[in-house]
Amino acid sequence: MSGIAKKMASNQKQIAISEFFEKNKHFLGFDSLQRSIITAVKEAVDNSLDACEEARILPEIKIKISKVDSKKDILELVAEDNGPGIPQRSIEKVFGQLLFGSRFHAIRQSRGQQGIGITGVVMYSQLTTGKPTNVVSKVASEPTAVSVNIGLDTRKNKAVKSDQDRIIWETDEMALKLHGLKVTTRMKAKYQRGRQSVYQYLRMTSIVNPHAEITFVDPDGEKHHWPRVTERLPRKVDAIKPHPHGIELGQLQRMCRESKDSRLTVFLRQNFSGVSMRAAKELCEASELSITTKPKSMKPDHIRALLEAFQGERLVGGKPIKLLSPPTNCLSPIEEMLIKKGLSKTIDSKFVSTMTRAPTVSHGNPFQVEVGLIFGEGMAADKHVEILRFANRVPLMYQQGGCLLTKAIESVDWRQYGLEQAGGKGVPKGPAAILVHLASTNVQFTSEAKEALSDNEFVFEESRKAMLEMGRGLRKHLEKKKKMAKTREKFELINDILPAIAEKSASILERPVPELAGSITRIMSAVICNESTTWNRETKETDVSITLFNYTSRARSYSILVNWPEKSGAVMTANERGGRKETMGIWGWKIETLDPGQKAEINYSLSNLEKGDWTETEVFFRGSQDVIGATKLDEKMLEEIRNQEKILAEAVVEVGEEENPETQYEPAGVVEGDTNQTTLFGGDN
Amino acid sequence: MARVNDPELTKTRLHTVVEEMYDRIVKGEPPTMTLPVRTKNNIGFDRKLGVYKYGKKRSTRDATSLGSAKNLLRALHVVEFIEEMIEAGKSSTLREMYYISEGWGLGKFGSQNESNNLAEDLEVVTSCLREDFKLRPEEDGARMIGNITVNELNRRGQWMTINARDDVGDSGYGVPYNVEIEKIELKEHDVNFLMAIETGGMFDRLIENGFDEDYKCGLIHLKGQPARSTRRIIKRMNEEWDLPVVVFLDGDPWSFRIFASIAYGAIKTAHISEYLATPSATYLGITADDILAYDLPADELSKKDIEALNAELSDPRFADGWWQDQINMMLEVGKKAEQQSLAKYGLDFVTDTYLPEKLGEMGLA
Repeated sequence: MSGIAKKMASNQKQIAISEFFEKNKHFLGFDSLQRSIITAVKEAVDNSLDACEEARILPEIKIKISKVDSKKDILELVAEDNGPGIPQRSIEKVFGQLLFGSRFHAIRQSRGQQGIGITGVVMYSQLTTGKPTNVVSKVASEPTAVSVNIGLDTRKNKAVKSDQDRIIWETDEMALKLHGLKVTTRMKAKYQRGRQSVYQYLRMTSIVNPHAEITFVDPDGEKHHWPRVTERLPRKVDAIKPHPHGIELGQLQRMCRESKDSRLTVFLRQNFSGVSMRAAKELCEASELSITTKPKSMKPDHIRALLEAFQGERLVGGKPIKLLSPPTNCLSPIEEMLIKKGLSKTIDSKFVSTMTRAPTVSHGNPFQVEVGLIFGEGMAADKHVEILRFANRVPLMYQQGGCLLTKAIESVDWRQYGLEQAGGKGVPKGPAAILVHLASTNVQFTSEAKEALSDNEFVFEESRKAMLEMGRGLRKHLEKKKKMAKTREKFELINDILPAIAEKSASILERPVPELAGSITRIMSAVICNESTTWNRETKETDVSITLFNYTSRARSYSILVNWPEKSGAVMTANERGGRKETMGIWGWKIETLDPGQKAEINYSLSNLEKGDWTETEVFFRGSQDVIGATKLDEKMLEEIRNQEKILAEAVVEVGEEENPETQYEPAGVVEGDTNQTTLFGGDN
Repeated sequence: MARVNDPELTKTRLHTVVEEMYDRIVKGEPPTMTLPVRTKNNIGFDRKLGVYKYGKKRSTRDATSLGSAKNLLRALHVVEFIEEMIEAGKSSTLREMYYISEGWGLGKFGSQNESNNLAEDLEVVTSCLREDFKLRPEEDGARMIGNITVNELNRRGQWMTINARDDVGDSGYGVPYNVEIEKIELKEHDVNFLMAIETGGMFDRLIENGFDEDYKCGLIHLKGQPARSTRRIIKRMNEEWDLPVVVFLDGDPWSFRIFASIAYGAIKTAHISEYLATPSATYLGITADDILAYDLPADELSKKDIEALNAELSDPRFADGWWQDQINMMLEVGKKAEQQSLAKYGLDFVTDTYLPEKLGEMGLA
């Protein structure tokens, strides 16, 4: 080939790469200068979080963006983590190869479902600045780190290494870095602030990754820090096999083609979830295929027939084939308490209500919805609430209006829960932020941009239900706050003002200070409950104290019940009154007689919790006279909690989780306390 | 005439308030303070005194809510404070008392309005005057110009003679907060009537035009809602010298109330109306019909103005036919006018035309 021809060919390749980028920039995330830097940060952070999760390391991520040339909009991004690092020989593959379609068989919840990963960043950097990306990687087993520049050979369309070297990698504190990865890259991009910014992306990431420590230095040199609030890593998710209900023709064709199984039944049982031996045979029968059919040799018609059987379009004995649901332990929800912590650390407000729904299945795909709502001062009361959308722990920052999760929020009448909303529809207004997270093995987006979830009635319904439940939590909180304010006033009146009136009037008249008991009873004429839940710094426990005052003229008798985070692993200690477990997360005590003017105290501590995990205890009562500061127990609600507990316990046995259900769901029993308490609830004494 | 009580009697009366609270606690009941209702629904015309006084309606403030309990505690602090001042021979302004209450902990006032109201409450329940309590207002009294001579006891304890035309500058004689006989003697005068004026601008206009000399009258600047001492000195000059009093105000619902407080007694101070009100005072203008008759530049009534007018319709002080007509007419016209709108016809119109015409109707010019 002549020199000119070679040059032409190379030009063609170059054009091919540029064209590839140009044509696909929407789904690669490089369609604007503002978005490019966000995408680059996103790819780096997603990789770090995934790698740390895999290696069971608590992530520490540092992102630094600086302006190299503001006239030409050139930014430098440095992304560093403490992950396992990448072995020298794999660096090229990770950073220089397009990893299309490598995960067809592994069905699991993973972050890396978007774009083409970090390779896209390397390509974009090369194309806009002509410079390679520097990667420093250190794995624990090697004494030194490797530093290498990765560029793209535009002729061969593959990665090229240059300036490879072994270096000693020291941290900022001059200590030897044990393991980790640092990526330094320059690109044409614009840094911006606001709702769609690197800052917002990292903030949202930190909310749903409470186990991560994230530091960000922006181009102005301002340092932002989101601390780690839990040492607990997300549950390791298992990959599951696809479920027949969720499979498409192309995928089934590929699976057949790649199969080495000699019999169709074996293929069906080993490559799909939810297929029993009986079901495998029935699927063969329905699709009129022999059980000895070799999958690799199946013709398109056969595959189509099999798919029809999967989808219940072909029947056996007049009925669709019964398949088991796919397992749901492949999902890793953030879980209520960690959502609460994540929200609380980024938004400075008092009240958080969260709800994690049980996992469920749509078209053979397991999914789970969780929501969180943070409410209070520190947020604008006259603006729309902030919506924080996530899919598999990845923040969704664009196309809010077209997203299923937003539509679910808009469909709730938030007015009944204490937020403002014009006409009971649309995004509500108020000092609040609403978080929605969808964990799923198969997240369906409206477009390649992967920023908005497409409509799915099951996901929509689950989201709605979760939000209704969460809203009830908000309403209760607001009602309680109102009641508490009134109660506080009354207490101030009888504890401070009334004694002052008595003393002052006595001193002016030069008479003895009168007894107050009678006046107090007349002023209050109620039974009052005071609850305090506080973090004890010394014992590292949450101390709960409940005091019941009888300011009526008659003796009273009550059962007092409280909610506590039993599900989250809390342990109740120092509970001297004893009482007994009512149901999961509800504990109760009997107060036999409370004479007029007397008070009864219940004290206990909760261990195995971190600070901020549990900040408010709800108090219920059973008894005839109303108690200010407590809610009359709704027996139906208690029954519902008991039922849910039963369902959950059964589900755990079915799935066969490692935890022993016996110990986790101990049946309610009587705990002997210091009180002479032998009979408990239900009026059986 | 307002009589200042003996300090011991003041203390005894204040103690009755304290005793009511104390005795209720001893009985095992919430402490209370009982006082006349101080709204327009509880004022009535006293035939003997010729002014409006509180009626028989009483309200009980009891300590069952935080707000009223705090009020009772404040009352006790005020009583104690008054006793201390009586014993120490001191006095303080209402504003000073408000600041002193900072040290009263739970009994501290939330605003000065609260402390002023409470001082009035105590006056009402004890039938004492705030002078008995050693409490002074900080509101300043009126300015006065005209051929009127008074003797005033100055702070050095000397009597000085002041003529409110010859011994004063353009700002006139400043009426002190205490105008009782131990402080002010009305010596002599050469005027035919007194004219009370709402705004400083109009007061200055009449002085510049020499109206006081031309029409032989005393001019008094009210400075909006007149202070007690302003109303009291008008009342004294009216009684002791038998001088007619005319009142020249803006033409709006709030001016009607200023007139009512001068002539009939103010709702808030109905317990001492007989000392403050001048029943023979006459409303000169601006009347509702003036707005039409003189075609004065006028503003639309605001929502608040209309509410005020409607409230006045059911105020017993405005029950007579003339007032009902005026109020209804203003509601119908839907307009209000300022005194100074008369300047539409030139700076001298008020002194050359308007006032002579109006005074003529009254037989004063």
